[in-house]
Amino acid sequence: MVKRKLGALEKVEADLPNLQHKIRRDPKSYIEDFRAQHYQYESHREIFMAAPTSATDTGIISLRDLIDFISHVADCYPEILKDFPQQLIDMLMEHHLVLESELREKLVGSLVLLKKKELVDSATLLHTLFPILISTPSKTLRALLFQKILSELRTANSKSTNHKLNRTMQTVLFNLVTSDRTSSKALWAIKLTRELWKRQIWTDAKAVEVMKEASLSTNEKVIVGGVRFFLGGDKEREEMEDESSDEEIDVGRIRHQLGINKKTKKKARTAHKAMLAHKKKEKKKNQPHPLNFSALHLLHDPQGFAETLFSKHLQSNKSKLNLEQKLLVLQLVSRLVGLHKLHIMSLYSYFQKFLTPRQPSVTSFLASLAQASHDLVPPDVLEPLIQKIANEFVSEASAGEVATAGLNAIREICVRQPLAMNETLLQDLVMYKKSKDKGVMMASKGLLSLFRDVGASMLKKRDRGKEASMGLRSGEKEERRFGQQETGGIEGLELLEQWKEEERRRKRQEKGLASDAEDDEEEDEEDNWDAWNVEDDDDSDVDGEWINVQSDDEIEISDSEDEGKDRPSKKAKQEEKAKAEAEAEEPKKADEVSKETAFSKLATTRILTPADLAKLAELRAQASVDAALSGSKRRPGPTASSRHTDDPLTAEEIEGLAALSAAKLTREEKIAHAKEGKLDRAEHKSKEAKRRERKQEQGKSTTNKEKARKKNFLMTLGKARSKNKRSLVETRAVLKAHHDRKKRGGKRGNVGN
Amino acid sequence: MGSSTKRKKEKKQDFQKPKLKVGKARPKPENYTDTSFKSKAIVLNQQSLQLTAPSSNSQFTHHLSLLSSKSDTQRRDSLAHLTTSITSRPVNSPLPQPVSVMLPSLLPLLLDASNNVRTQLLKLLRTLPHSDVEDHVLQLLPYVRAGMTHLAPDIRVSAVEILSWLVESAGEQVVSCAGGWIKTLNCFLSVLGWHTDESAKWSSTRASFGKSGSKGKPMVKVLGALAEFLDAGVGEPGASAGVNGDQNGNDASASSASPFPLSETGHHMISASAAPYAYLNLFGQPRDEEGEMYETREDRYRVFATRFLPAVDRGLKSAREEGGELGRAASGVTKVLKGALSYGPGP
Repeated sequence: MVKRKLGALEKVEADLPNLQHKIRRDPKSYIEDFRAQHYQYESHREIFMAAPTSATDTGIISLRDLIDFISHVADCYPEILKDFPQQLIDMLMEHHLVLESELREKLVGSLVLLKKKELVDSATLLHTLFPILISTPSKTLRALLFQKILSELRTANSKSTNHKLNRTMQTVLFNLVTSDRTSSKALWAIKLTRELWKRQIWTDAKAVEVMKEASLSTNEKVIVGGVRFFLGGDKEREEMEDESSDEEIDVGRIRHQLGINKKTKKKARTAHKAMLAHKKKEKKKNQPHPLNFSALHLLHDPQGFAETLFSKHLQSNKSKLNLEQKLLVLQLVSRLVGLHKLHIMSLYSYFQKFLTPRQPSVTSFLASLAQASHDLVPPDVLEPLIQKIANEFVSEASAGEVATAGLNAIREICVRQPLAMNETLLQDLVMYKKSKDKGVMMASKGLLSLFRDVGASMLKKRDRGKEASMGLRSGEKEERRFGQQETGGIEGLELLEQWKEEERRRKRQEKGLASDAEDDEEEDEEDNWDAWNVEDDDDSDVDGEWINVQSDDEIEISDSEDEGKDRPSKKAKQEEKAKAEAEAEEPKKADEVSKETAFSKLATTRILTPADLAKLAELRAQASVDAALSGSKRRPGPTASSRHTDDPLTAEEIEGLAALSAAKLTREEKIAHAKEGKLDRAEHKSKEAKRRERKQEQGKSTTNKEKARKKNFLMTLGKARSKNKRSLVETRAVLKAHHDRKKRGGKRGNVGN
Repeated sequence: MGSSTKRKKEKKQDFQKPKLKVGKARPKPENYTDTSFKSKAIVLNQQSLQLTAPSSNSQFTHHLSLLSSKSDTQRRDSLAHLTTSITSRPVNSPLPQPVSVMLPSLLPLLLDASNNVRTQLLKLLRTLPHSDVEDHVLQLLPYVRAGMTHLAPDIRVSAVEILSWLVESAGEQVVSCAGGWIKTLNCFLSVLGWHTDESAKWSSTRASFGKSGSKGKPMVKVLGALAEFLDAGVGEPGASAGVNGDQNGNDASASSASPFPLSETGHHMISASAAPYAYLNLFGQPRDEEGEMYETREDRYRVFATRFLPAVDRGLKSAREEGGELGRAASGVTKVLKGALSYGPGP
């Protein structure tokens, strides 16, 4: 429609945005105009409600504009607009199927706006939007609603966790998933939960419960969505966290720019904002890291869940999943089994039929099998599987990749349950270390080194290696029995112990130098007294060295002092405390106590302070760095130590060095391989060009020299010509002027100097 | 320029004659553009292949459909065509199309941006027979109300004009239909700016947001329409010589005309109105107080006295004080109001 011709003044005055602006400034004076517009809205609404389908935008003002206008000024007239939110909700709920798309989006936007103005509470908003999200056939509306719901939940949880809202929303999602297990509507629950999980807004068991129910549904898409969440949701969360902490704000630079650039209000505001963000980030950095349990750990009944997953999706004939989806489910089941040490006996026989080299994506099956084995699985369940892998995969006739995969899989299983291996098979497999194929050779050597650690007696004598055979002879190395558990400890506790000892020694040295002059005879008593003293001091001192532990052999080796070795152990000291001071010589005895017991004592007799724990973490990190730096004399395989128990075992790890067994790469492949790691390498450029680019990026200007170089040739021509025609006198004058200028420091001169 | 041999050669090339050869196609000029194209079918849009001229009835429908045209001259012309074809139809013959068919395309034009279209629309509406309009008041009123509170003052004025036509042709229905009484009165007050105490405090009527339109004296027209509307709603039944009078008269005559044993026959007969049970609101949205039907004068008077009388009184007083044409119009309203007040809530 052609727009009505408006007089110039009318154009300025009589539009809704203008009125809106005026109302915002002075709501009281414009109440009459607002009321008129409200009646207008009411009549339009009446017209619309009479025939929602045939609503057309005629005239200058449409219902959409009116809704927009009213919702923008709604906070000024709460009394007149009591029913307005409810009217919008009704309109949207009842007619969202037939509404014109723009009006529909405006309704959604207005409701969100009203929420922002706190005329609608977020529970109502979510209860309005979510049912529409599920039921609407329009893709754009769904996208809009999803985004709005998500941002609503995020803002509701931004200041502090809104438990009430979260709980109601989670219940809604849970009901959605459980109510109709065949429908794909549950996908929305999955999408929402996953997104909120990723952003660490929902981190509790209830969200995990929703996903658990989703992965037990009967709709393939929903199953896969749920399973994928368990397999990748936590990783996603970590990545998100890393990403968000990446954006660093260079405060110095902002300050610098603020000093140099033109000062406008806007720039000051942006700088202020950036500073605030920076401060917030700093604050966040200092806060203790929130405990984030992975979804797999938050499951309530992992055994039941894994069993139902297995029987429903893998074992039963009715499941319609294809191989890829089945593999995903299998991965989840096996991870649950491995992580929680569950028992699903039929799982292992299920694997039996897939363990042939012809099976598509067999490496994933092998990885899953390895994942599903743990030290509480009866060895006789795993033994036939290992046998089968050995028979099917590992033979002279089979291709190098196949044998490598088989050997790797066997090793991975044996890492988790060494008892599943028998002697003859092991000795047979170890023979492959002589293989010509590099991949097979490496895999076999990996198996060998594993069994040198865990079951050297099964190896032939010449394969055992020096350490293992020595260990065997001295009886130090004992094979683990089935179900035998290692006594647990605190990782790095011995490091802490050692550090404390050193600290103490250092202090003692400082003190000892002074006390040395006085008396040497009553050394022990002095020591004891010191010890008491130290302890007294440390009761008040938080991160002081208040643990006084018996010395060990290393201290005797150290040269500088002799006092240190006679320190009473902590325990001994406490005994002393109970008894009398006279028995000061007792600690000598405690020296004999073995190292391990001393360590356990440290943890059992002392409460580690936060400062201790922080130091422990630091020491652990230091140790790992040292280990990495000191080179790999005996590199323990990446599978052994670097992998966390939570991390999944992937098919790539099973394939392992299969690339080595493959034929040699062509030149192109080699180049491509070399280039792989260096994606973001810039094109080759001169230093100058790079500098210029950098300057331009920072919004800096060019130098005068560069400007002169870029100057249009024709512009320089006149001057060049005239230069030729100068007389000697003129030339002299110019040169002189130039010289003067240079001396002064430019045209304006260095006035300050 | 042109001194070098190269230039000369270039120049020469421009005027070289293309060599024509026997048995070969003529060489194409340099600036030749290929305009041929391939298509499976060629469709000619909007081709009328009728030999006979369209009948007046089909022309009427065609023009009805043209009412939603983009160009306002087109809309105006179509309206004019419709008007002439309605007025020039033989006496006592039915309308070319029933009103219920015409209204959906006519109604949005109430809020049309162009002045000419709206005046033409009013002309068309005036040609419609009253009896046909009565049944469609409920559809018309929301548009009229939307027009009365429109931001553009011209539209407000023409909406008021249309309302006065509507009251004139179907006054009883206007005031008694659902939402017709309170909502319309509200609109009147907001057009006049009489709603709040603040607006009453100022000696002159407050200038409303937006400029007054090209048609002058909007207030006078609004006051005139208000007088008619109030007369139709709460006016003295006997004294009002307006449109609603004959209706009451009809009732009276029906009850009195019946012979002796029959009394109140009219109440037992099938109602003559189109929707006799509309007040039950069986199929619509639930109504609130404002949207309720106020079918009797008594009801309307009660609502008017409690909700609107003070505001109207205050407004009328200030309008009278302004004097001139406005004051005269205001005193017209006052007269109606006085009559209504003297009659009171009813017999």
